[in-house]
Amino acid sequence: MKKFSSILRNYGMFIGFGVIFVIFSLSSEYFLDVYNLMNILVQSSLIAIIAVGQTFVILTGGIDLSVGSIVALTSVSTGLMLTSGISIPLAIIFGVLVGLGAGLVNGITVSFGKVPAFIVTLGMMSIARGGALAMNSGKPVSGLPFEFERIASTEVFGIPIFAIYMLVIYAIGYFILYKTRLGRHIFAIGGNREATKLSGVNVPFNEMMAYAVSGLLAGLGGVLLTARLNYATPISGNAYELDTIAAVVIGGTSLAGGEGGLIGTLIGALLLGTLRNGLTLLNVVSYYQQIIIGVVIVLAVFYDRMKTKKG
Amino acid sequence: MKKVLLTVLLVALIGCFAFAKTMTIGFIPMTLSNEYFITMVNAAKLEADKLGIELLVQAGQRHGSAQEQMQIMENMITRRVDAICIVPSSSQGLIPVLRKAEKANIPVINLDTKFDAAALEAAGLKPIPFIGTDNYYGAEIAGWFALSLLGGEGDVAILTGVAGQQNAADRRNGFYDIISKEEGINIVAEQTANWEVEQGYNVTQNILQANPGLKLIFASNDNMGLGARRAIDEAKKDVVVIGYDAISAALDGIKAGTIAGTIAQFPAEMGIMGVQTALKIKNGETVPNYVQTGSKLIYQGNVDWFKEYLSQYE
Repeated sequence: MKKFSSILRNYGMFIGFGVIFVIFSLSSEYFLDVYNLMNILVQSSLIAIIAVGQTFVILTGGIDLSVGSIVALTSVSTGLMLTSGISIPLAIIFGVLVGLGAGLVNGITVSFGKVPAFIVTLGMMSIARGGALAMNSGKPVSGLPFEFERIASTEVFGIPIFAIYMLVIYAIGYFILYKTRLGRHIFAIGGNREATKLSGVNVPFNEMMAYAVSGLLAGLGGVLLTARLNYATPISGNAYELDTIAAVVIGGTSLAGGEGGLIGTLIGALLLGTLRNGLTLLNVVSYYQQIIIGVVIVLAVFYDRMKTKKG
Repeated sequence: MKKVLLTVLLVALIGCFAFAKTMTIGFIPMTLSNEYFITMVNAAKLEADKLGIELLVQAGQRHGSAQEQMQIMENMITRRVDAICIVPSSSQGLIPVLRKAEKANIPVINLDTKFDAAALEAAGLKPIPFIGTDNYYGAEIAGWFALSLLGGEGDVAILTGVAGQQNAADRRNGFYDIISKEEGINIVAEQTANWEVEQGYNVTQNILQANPGLKLIFASNDNMGLGARRAIDEAKKDVVVIGYDAISAALDGIKAGTIAGTIAQFPAEMGIMGVQTALKIKNGETVPNYVQTGSKLIYQGNVDWFKEYLSQYE
């Protein structure tokens, strides 16, 4: 019994995900359809990708509230660049760089300026959203070249390209977090900032890098969203910060920092995507969908709390 | 014999289930947190029940999220619905998923907010039948009503919707084009209040501060008009308010005399005709590409009739 509870503690989110998966498979005949499973991957992928950066930031003990607005900012910038005739690869690179820039500003202000992350990224949330609106006077950008849509609609051996992007980003993120010094330092900063500093680690630099990664991936998310819709709107990415934070905490990363990991975040994002997909297939009214998703988030953190208490 | 009877019974039973619903329609309003769309959905449900059609209603949680609607549509395509009725959150942002629907041979019917025809054509998509109203025309009615109330002179302010949205532009332009022709009338302020009550209240406070002689406010939706009314009452001014959308709070205002009039659209008709059109397409009938469900001025003279009409779809 003790063994069982320890399994439950360590693999709880996998079990939770499995349970939800089985429930939907049994209750909707459309759920376990290859096309639908691919849909879930695609629909979860943007949140999953941006949540990698959010995981980095939360592991340092910080938070990034600006990712949704950065998505909008990069989306509109990329859209405007494309309609002004800049080549597609350049527009993609510049778009991602816009996100990286915003992330760097966040990082520098938090780590070197010593302003709390909540405040800095709250400010950036407003600044980037305002920027996205101002850039094209609040108007959406349409008429993007159709070749651009291809970076979203392509399939490789029947697997949608978005799922592949997601896996690649997770592979890179996993490598950075677990195989490089930056990754170890990110864990250390969140675990015990003072001790990390005393051991000679450049805390501000490593902390800044976490926000830079978050901004970069939000930028990538903005570019990918634009391609998926083939359309850029300044109101896009709304509440992405909340979805990504939800994915991270469902995945078992502690908001206090230092504890958690990327695999959990991926499961968290897939769980959110699966819930939304399955509840839509079951035709659950959107009001109740919101309630159910809220309950899942709180249960996940509650569960996480129990875990830390016990062991 | 028993076996045969049992088989026949079983087949009949399965048949009953299979043919109980003639078809399934996916119905996607912009949101479900707005009376206007709830009326549309309720009317569509009544009509679907009458016709023995299964209606799956799904809406995004966030107003104007093209991405959420795209996901809902993808899920409905997976579910192999027979048709999709949608109020798009943006006129151009759903083209990739419209293509998927076309590929899957699922007809799409466009309600209330029109897809950009040029964008559809540029994307190589077939035209999509539209059922809805012309906002420009409705706002023109509001303009004529304003002219008749003002008697040809006075200062007027316009509260506009979210910048960049087509219906916001159409409502502003329709009203503006009528009212600006009259020489005695000055449009002294034109400000966005983003469709919201609170912003309508704040913006109107500022407008009243700058224009003490203001005579009339046209709010591009009732929410902003209700906010404006509160600001006017607090400032103890005598300013006429005209709204748009005919939401129930505005109808109450018209009965009470605080709101002069509002423009009603007929979301219930859109929902009903959406379902009917889906059925017609399924039966191989041709359907018109553009159907106007009309706009109507609601004022003290007809507000009771309109409330009664609405009560069918509560």
